[in-house]
Amino acid sequence: MIPDYLERLARELSFDRSLARNVRQEVEDHLWEAVAADPTGNMLAAQQRAIANFGDARAIAAQFAVISLARHSRRAGAAAVLVIASVFIAMRTRIAWNAAAQLAIGEEDMRAVSGLVVLIDRYAFWLSVIIGLGSWAYIVSRRIPAGFYPAYRKQLRRFFVLCCAAAAALVVSVISDGVLTALLLRGTELSAGFLVPVFSMAIEIVCVGILVFHICGIARRTASTAALLNT
Amino acid sequence: MLKGHLDMIVLAALSAAGPAHGYAVIEEIRRRSGGAFDLPEGTIYPALHRLELAGLLKSSWMTADSGRRRRVYTLTRAGNRALIQRRAVWKQFSDAIGGLLGGTRPRENPA
Repeated sequence: MIPDYLERLARELSFDRSLARNVRQEVEDHLWEAVAADPTGNMLAAQQRAIANFGDARAIAAQFAVISLARHSRRAGAAAVLVIASVFIAMRTRIAWNAAAQLAIGEEDMRAVSGLVVLIDRYAFWLSVIIGLGSWAYIVSRRIPAGFYPAYRKQLRRFFVLCCAAAAALVVSVISDGVLTALLLRGTELSAGFLVPVFSMAIEIVCVGILVFHICGIARRTASTAALLNT
Repeated sequence: MLKGHLDMIVLAALSAAGPAHGYAVIEEIRRRSGGAFDLPEGTIYPALHRLELAGLLKSSWMTADSGRRRRVYTLTRAGNRALIQRRAVWKQFSDAIGGLLGGTRPRENPA
């Protein structure tokens, strides 16, 4: 009887595998302890009573869904900051390498284009820094509610918009970096010196991918939490 | 009414019992409330996880005498501070309600 209940609870918690594993172990310990403490000595009745006292698996899973959502939102906020920091490091490394390798844009007209792209890159990047830090500070300073209340939904929506804005600004910055790198490497012969700019660009693209993945994760989890609470 | 104060109740039980697992926390709440707070046991676990995420509790896994894995919760320093704060707010609230119901004036808040 208890294993069946635990199975049902783990199934309801399938939206977060590590949480499901931990909660299952915790609840298993709880239920068997309640059975051991039962004064009647009737094993079957004691198990029934322990499960009934514990509550409906779906209702408990719904409470955990809110906590899981809060945990992942905080993680996404931290990921946004780390991703932006990583892009910054990749960018600085490439700039230092370009200077050391004396790489420069040759054509006059391309130099004018690159000046504009550098400007866009700079503003987009610092905008992503400000919004990214803001979104992280916003989500960690929110209280974790006991339920999926409208006020919390509103906070999550704000956080989601901030994350999307930070990601959009970062995408613009990375595209600008890509354009600048392409202009720089255009016409130069293929050599080992290509590796650093190309590799740093790859890091930036992966970083943006990670951020987008986290943002999609929040949207998915918010929808599944709402669905779990509505059924 | 209990639901709104569940966090404070859990913090108080852990403060009184010391490091404890979920079942022991429930037992402590039941014992200290004289059986008045006989809440659905499953609601304690989301509260414990929420308080841990908020940094008010920390947990560690150990193996119980039964051989089962057991998660033991401990109050953090931030948890202790939060409990002191909530106790003060509760005391003020309870004095005010006591004053209203019993007709006695609540003590002025020195702050």
